[in-house]
Order: sequence, then structure tokens, then C-alpha cells
Amino acid sequence: MILRVKFNKKNYLKYIGHLDLLRLFQRSFSRAAIPVKFSEGFNPHPRFSIASPLSLGIESEEEYMDIEMAERIEAEEFIRRMNQVLPKDIQILEAVYPEDKRSISSLITWALYEIRFATKVDMDLDEAKRIINSWLEREEIIISRLRKKGRKRVMKEENIRPLIGHLDVKGKEGDEIVLQALMKVGEGGNLRPFDFINALNEAEELQMDLDSVLIKRQSLYIGDGEEIYRPVK
Amino acid sequence: MIDKRKLDRILKKVEKPARYIGMEINSVNKDLEDKVKFAFCFPDIYDVGMSHMGLHILYNLINEEDDFLCERVFSPWTDMEELMRQEDIPLFTLESKEEVRNFDFLGFTLQYEMSFTNILNILDLARIPLLSRDRGEEDPIIIAGGPCAYNPEPIADFIDVFVIGEGEEIVLELLNKYKEHKANKGDKESFLREILSIKGIYIPKFYKVEYKEDGTIKEMIPLIEEAPKRIEKRMVRNLDEMYSPRKVIVPYIETVHDRIMLELFRGCTRGCRFCQAGMIYRPIREKSPARLLDLAEDLVKSTGYENISLSSLSTCDYSQLQLLVSSLMDRFSEDNVGLSLPSLRLDSFSLDILKEIEKVRKSGLTFAPEAGSQRLRDVINKGVTEEDLITAVSYAFKEGWSRIKLYFMLGLPTETDEDVLGIRDLAYLVKDLFFKRPKEERRGNFSVTASASCFVPKPFTPFQWVKQDTIEEFKRKAHLVKDSIRDKRINFNYHDPELSYVEAVFARGDRRLGKALLKAWEKGCKFDGWSEHFKYDLWLEAFEEAGIDGSFYAHRERDKDEIFPWDFIDIGVSKKFLYREYERALAGETTDDCRIDCKGCGIRDCAMRGVFN
Repeated sequence: MILRVKFNKKNYLKYIGHLDLLRLFQRSFSRAAIPVKFSEGFNPHPRFSIASPLSLGIESEEEYMDIEMAERIEAEEFIRRMNQVLPKDIQILEAVYPEDKRSISSLITWALYEIRFATKVDMDLDEAKRIINSWLEREEIIISRLRKKGRKRVMKEENIRPLIGHLDVKGKEGDEIVLQALMKVGEGGNLRPFDFINALNEAEELQMDLDSVLIKRQSLYIGDGEEIYRPVK
Repeated sequence: MIDKRKLDRILKKVEKPARYIGMEINSVNKDLEDKVKFAFCFPDIYDVGMSHMGLHILYNLINEEDDFLCERVFSPWTDMEELMRQEDIPLFTLESKEEVRNFDFLGFTLQYEMSFTNILNILDLARIPLLSRDRGEEDPIIIAGGPCAYNPEPIADFIDVFVIGEGEEIVLELLNKYKEHKANKGDKESFLREILSIKGIYIPKFYKVEYKEDGTIKEMIPLIEEAPKRIEKRMVRNLDEMYSPRKVIVPYIETVHDRIMLELFRGCTRGCRFCQAGMIYRPIREKSPARLLDLAEDLVKSTGYENISLSSLSTCDYSQLQLLVSSLMDRFSEDNVGLSLPSLRLDSFSLDILKEIEKVRKSGLTFAPEAGSQRLRDVINKGVTEEDLITAVSYAFKEGWSRIKLYFMLGLPTETDEDVLGIRDLAYLVKDLFFKRPKEERRGNFSVTASASCFVPKPFTPFQWVKQDTIEEFKRKAHLVKDSIRDKRINFNYHDPELSYVEAVFARGDRRLGKALLKAWEKGCKFDGWSEHFKYDLWLEAFEEAGIDGSFYAHRERDKDEIFPWDFIDIGVSKKFLYREYERALAGETTDDCRIDCKGCGIRDCAMRGVFN
């Protein structure tokens, strides 16, 4: 019996890594007396998985996990009990028992990010838009990243342009340029936000102040082709 | 409050940023207005400091009071420190991100001498003058406690107030006095004078030390009438009635001891002659199984931890261990909460219990014979025989363990090369015991690791009179063992002798060392306990420039009647008893566990005679 759960991760808690987050949930299940199924064996641990783990330092408004329940409890009851024991910056937003038996990890295809950064020189919004759009119009945007090849690690070049769904320059708030970007995640192609930032930084005219970059994941989507939608509601 | 935007900029660049954010489950955020503010500092990184049980006790004890608050501060790791200095961010507490210098108290726990430079570094990062005499009304009162406070003198220049003994006995008394004092608008000087009347408080600036021509102490003279000549340690009498937290902070990141630490008792009756903890925490005092079960119940509920560690100096000596273990197992095994024992006795009783609780992986098992020969084990009064080791290890192999670790010390008093080579012999003995077993009964991949630390004589032990081996001697002995081992399954490693030398200087040091400590910090020494950060050459320069001869402290055999820098502290155990034990050591005579019969160590109201498991 799978319970699919939507939660957020905000403020300083963006500095909690994925393994730390797993431990936090494990202990929270225990504190909230949630009947989660445990694995067999010498070192039993609760069975749950978080889709598309966030990189350290990225906030999120909507994350998802699937929990294998040992017995059914009402979704509202689950949310109530968990939110009592979770820190205020990680809270459960929704929970449902899905009909679709496929795992959340295999379903997620796109992620929407809000990206904020300051520039090293003062730059008006139209100028920023012009630079970013012309960067996006390149046929190929090449990044190189470390890939495992057997036991070796090799640098591999990759064109990330097809992994960018859309990119909007939303505006300027104070000295920060605000972008919204849809990026591919999952097995059918995966673009990590920090790789995206490093690639965008190649547009030198933009004069990004890399230390000022703030990234927030706004939501995750499933579906392919024309239509994409949120996993829960 | 510090500039949070600046903080966000640097957190993105450091390793394990969660060390600096606070906000863990069971951490406490209070409004800072109108409270007596106490910043508790463990002068090492978060991962180490959060594993210290004393922190959790004092943190909750203080925060349960409406008028007080306690927040935490640790040493930032070197990457974080560099960025904080670059961005001009002063040291802040994890809870409110408030500057440490805006607190009323900054309290250090002194767990090991090699954290002393970190204390100076923390004061500097907090923008608090390093020297006690340079601080003003606006600066926090710097207090310190913990095991190294039993010889407070080497850091007397930097600490305003020492608390000698168990902190939970005294901290509320101190804070209440401060609250009254603040209400009456009294100044710092009058506050310090007033608290001299609290038992266990030592304020170095009210004392002067005079030295003899040979450099030893002539006299320690109180400068004002209120300053007591002897400082008695504070101690909890009844552990069941003592404050024990029912919730502890659960870190996000993995720390050294990431589990519930259930303290079964304080003190130890074994009387190992090298062990400071075994003397300063006397008498032995136990919590009852009922109390422990009750605490464990709440701690599991409030933390969600999956493991309880039964921690004490020699856990297997707990008089009702069997009862406690089976009750805990009955209660918690269904909830997938495990138990662990941090220290083991070399007997089958301990192993039976271990077998019961660790139904899980049988990987490594650690024993501490401490010395290689029976003669030397008798000298240090480590009541363990080769027979015990054979029994324990054979049993362990039979039960499926295959990797054994053995702990030793090099440089123990009266040690000969023969004793040193005994380390090799024991390692080979363990190997033979494994391969003597029929092939079909051998399980796992065998290895034995012998680790040797370099003996550091500590105050308040029977060995407080002895000289430490020189660095060269330590190295020679270590190589003697290393070169005599010709088997890939037997590993030998030893601790850095240079580090142990500096530790020995400070362990039995006096006030004059303050200058050297300051110099060492100025030259860049910090995290000295981390061997990759320990800079011996800088320490030598610091000693030299401060006019300190380290050998005077480390390598000198003391006279029976020498006045030690720590003699004004009364731990309850008498100097006479310690000397008697020293003489017995030199004669190779052992002293029984004092539960068997009282040895007259000087402790009054000891309740543990004749209580065994």
C-alpha cells in the first residue's frame, strides 16, 4: 500500500542533504507512530523513497515521496501527525493513496525552478532578457561533466539545450534578476540546476554574481509530450 | 543578529552547511528579551560537540527555566572560518543567529587539552578580548567546566570563572545569582566576588601563584578574603533525583554518536592508575533500572532515534546490567530500536550480553588490555589477565566475530622493551587463537589491529608524579613493535608522539603556560587534536618565545611533596591515597576493585561497597 506524499523544504533546511533528509523522515515516522513497512534483514529500515532528490542548497515548494505503509491510515491523519513532529520548514502538504502503481520516481519528467541572481554590474531588465534569450537561441549549449564509465570517471560533453523546456525572464526585484526555468529530470534526461547555472554563466555579458544565486524548485511534473501535470492534484 | 544574507552566501560554499543552521528537532528557540543568555560552547566542530552528553543535559536544564536561555556554539570548520572572516561575520549561536558577544555568559566545556587553542580562536571569532583582564562590563562572562577544569591553571589567563565538578549541580545557582545581580544593576566585579561563596567556583584572578627557584610552586595565595583556599568539586549525590533530559536535540547530519546516550552511572571502582576519570568522578553513583527505563521511553518517543547506547565509564560494571538490558530489549525490540555497549569488559558475562543485544552484524570487537605484559598491567592496575583475553577472544571467534581491535598505551611507568614487545605477542596470540580453530568453524575475514596511544600522565591520578617518555623514546618503542610484526593480518598503528607531548605539557601545566598558548594560537595553531591540523613546529616556536621549557612539565619526575598547580582543588580523593597507589604501582602490586573492600581513598559517603553484578 503506497502513500504518495507532497512536502516542502524551505529556508535554512535547504542545507540538509538527501541522506540527512531520509534520516529525518525515518525518525519522524517513528516519532509520529506512522505504520510504515520495514525492510527485512539484519538492519531493518522503513521503506520509502523520495523522487528526484534535491541538490544541497536548493529550496523546494513541492517535493514528492512514496511511502510503503504497513497498514492504512487516513491521509489527513498522516498529515496531522507528521506535521506535529516535523520542523516548520519541512512540512507535509498533501497525501493520497494513488491508483497508479508505478513509482513516483519513474513518473517524474520535468522540474520547474525559480532562479534569482545579482549581476556584478548594474543591468536593466531588457538587457538581461536580450542576453539570456540570445544564449537560449544557440543551437547547442554544451556543458562538460564527470561521468562514470565503468570504474573510471571521464569528462563528457553534453548538449543541454534539449533539456531546457522553457526559460522565462520574470523580472527584476531589487538587484536580483528572476528567472523561471523548466528542466528535464529523470531517466529520460536530467539537467541539474547548478549545471544550468554554470552554462548560463558562459554568457559572459550577463556578469552573474555566482555567490548570489538562489534556486527554488517550484514543482515537479509527470507526463510527456504536450501535456504535463502535477503528480498529486 | 548577524547579516543573514551574508550567511546564506557563504553557507552555499562550505562543507556540511547543516553544521551552522540549528533548527534541529528538540532545539529551543526563545525570545532573547529579558532573559539571562547563556551560550554553551563545545570548542570543536558540531559533529563532535553534539555527541557530548553534558551539552544535552545543561542545554535542556537551562532552557526549562523561563528566565534563562541556552544556545549552542561550536568551532566553525576551517572552510567556514575563512569565509566568516572574509565576509566579516562574527561568531553566532545556532539558535537565534545572535552574536555570541551579546550573551551574558559564554561557557566552554573542557573535554581535552588539545582544544585549548580552539577556545582562543572562538573568543577571537566572537570578537571578545582573549585575556580575561582585557574584558569589560559589556563582554560576556567566560566560564569553563568539564574534566580539564580539574587543572584549570594553563588557561587561567583566558577564563573568568571555572566550575569544578558536575555542571548540573551548579549552573542554575549561578544563573539565579546573575539574574538578581542584573536586577540590582551590580557590576561584573561585585558579581564575581559574590559567587566566590558558591561551592565549586574558582576565579583565577583572585589568586596569585608564587614559585620556588627551581620553578615549582611555592604557594598559591588568595588575594581577597572571600577567595577560598581550597575549591571543593561539586557533585550530584543522587543520580535518580538528578535532572535528566527527556528530549535531546536530534542533529540532521551524522555526528560521532548519533544515538540516544543513556547514562547508567557516574564514577568507576576499578582504580586503573592511569585513568583520571576513574578518580575525579568518584564515588560511583548509579541510576536505578526503573528510572533508566522511564527515561529511555521518553527519549525514544521524543527523538525517533533507532539506537540506545548504554554509556558510562565501564558500562558492564552496572550492578543490574542484565535486568536493564532484558527490560530494554523487551520494551523496544518491536519498535526496531537497538541497543549498543560502548565499552566491554574482558569476560564472558559482558560477551553474553553483547551477543544478546547485537543480533546484527558481527564485525569488529574491541578490547583494551592497555599494556602488553602482565607485569605492566599490574603496575597500572588494569585487572585483566592474558587468560581473560584468551577466554574473551576465543568466545568471540566462536560466536562469529572475526576482526579484533586491541588498545594499548606506550610509555607507561616502568615499561621495558620486553613489555613493549608484549603488544606484539598478544596480537600474535589472537591470531593463533583464530587459526587454531577447525577450518570449517572459522567465520569471516580475520584481522587484528593493535593501536597504541602515547601515555600522558594526568593530574589526580597515581601517575601524576611520573615523567612522560620523550618523543624519541615513544618512536623507538613504536618501531620496536612495528618492525617485529611480519604478518599482513596483524596491523599496528600508534598515535602522534609530538601531539601527546604537547598534551602532557598542558595536562600538568601551570599558569605560566598561558603565554605559550596565546603565542601558539597567534601563529595559527588550532584543531590541535586533529592530527592533520597539529603543527608541532609552531608549538615549539611558541614555547621558545614564551620562555617555556616543555620538558619541565612533561619529562620531569616530581618529588613526593611537590605542590602541584591543581592541588588547591579537592576532588575528594586524597593526595595521600594517590601516592600510596603510586608506590604500589612501582612495587607491581595490584589494588582490588574498591567494591570488594574500601581502600580509604578519601571519598566520604561512598555507597557502593559490596555491590556487584
